[in-house]
Amino acid sequence: MTFIQGWHPVALSVSIEPGSSAGTHIGGQELVVWRDNSGVAHVWEDRCPHRGMKLSFGFVRGDHIACLYHGWQYDIAGQCRYVPAHPNLEVPATIKVPVFRTVEAAGMIWTSADADAGSPAAAGTADETVPVRSLYVDCDADELIAALKADLPAPFKGKSTATIAQLGDDLFRVATGDDTLLLGLQRLEDERAALHIVIAGPAASYAGAGQAHFLAWATALRGRLEQPAMTWPAHQAEAV
Amino acid sequence: MSGIQLYNYDLDENCYRVRLALSMLGIACKTVAMNAFPGNEHKAPAFLAINPLGTLPVLKDEELTLFGAEAILCHLARAHGGDTGLLPAHGDAYAQVMQWLFFSAGELSVTVEARGNALLDQPGDAVALRAGARRVLRVMDDHMTARGHAGADWFVGEHATLADIALFPAFALSRDYGVDHDEYPALRRWGRRFRTLPGFLTMPGIPDYH
Repeated sequence: MTFIQGWHPVALSVSIEPGSSAGTHIGGQELVVWRDNSGVAHVWEDRCPHRGMKLSFGFVRGDHIACLYHGWQYDIAGQCRYVPAHPNLEVPATIKVPVFRTVEAAGMIWTSADADAGSPAAAGTADETVPVRSLYVDCDADELIAALKADLPAPFKGKSTATIAQLGDDLFRVATGDDTLLLGLQRLEDERAALHIVIAGPAASYAGAGQAHFLAWATALRGRLEQPAMTWPAHQAEAV
Repeated sequence: MSGIQLYNYDLDENCYRVRLALSMLGIACKTVAMNAFPGNEHKAPAFLAINPLGTLPVLKDEELTLFGAEAILCHLARAHGGDTGLLPAHGDAYAQVMQWLFFSAGELSVTVEARGNALLDQPGDAVALRAGARRVLRVMDDHMTARGHAGADWFVGEHATLADIALFPAFALSRDYGVDHDEYPALRRWGRRFRTLPGFLTMPGIPDYH
């Protein structure tokens, strides 16, 4: 699995507010995720062509993102439009940041480096979503999915046993009781992965208590993954 | 002119905690600049006579001399905070602010050590310090994730408190010791809100533009 193929989640939509930016990784590649003031999300290479500074350290003004070092401003196509030290300069077209296709679906921001990729699997999976959390874990992505499959959540509403289905390379759906979760898997780098978790359903049903229910499950899942089960030494167990 | 004096080093994040509180409370203060790095002026006998621990910051308020950023924050909020609510007087909110202030002075100090090691030649195991810093920042992010689901914007209660002031620098300065903000989405949102508080100010390592 490389970043070239398919669609990959990089954040929950709510985590990237209008006018803000954040760094992230896919397969070790550094990316900036930012949202312009009109609310459109963008995913780019996280590197200013001028001095290599991370654009995720920069600042968003209108539909431009500016580098923190020298204020070079880039439009939403990645084209440099303004160099403050040379305000009258017609900026050469070659000063451009690589940009990646970006869409929002299932309450997450998805990106692809593949110009021919169709719609992400997440498109159309849910009319409304309620965010739970992005769960960052220090382990391999496949190990994270194995742990997820071994530890599906109890329902917030209803009773039936949880099941999991894979909808795309990096998208999973968990049905538990009357509830449905969508989980986007992000392969950050070696031994570091994230699950972006949302509830498919209306805020009226899940805001607050429903979110707290699945948040507790997700955070416990991380704990079990990172800290192997404590086992009592035999002599102590016998003494109990 | 108030009788308040702050023994300050601009790059010290504990001094920054106090500068934030002073600014947010609108308290005028005389600053005594300390050459902490590379001069180690805070370890010299003249300063040890003021604070035997040899730590910054120290605040003098008339006859009172205090060391420890968290104690200084409490004093400023109680003695000069008026009705700002930065230090709730009683109830759960009081206890929770105290919890986060002790966390700030205790577990969170690994972030101060990590930064001191990365920037100011202080001894330590950089890898272990960074791992420790990630653990405590995650505790904060987990808390603010849950707070967000409860419709709350701040660490404690309905508005900003000393807890937010004490905890902000460790997150805002984490890139100084090689921990990016990528894994802490709830802290990113909280940090952006914190920056809008009246009297907010930056320090080196925390950009004016964001």
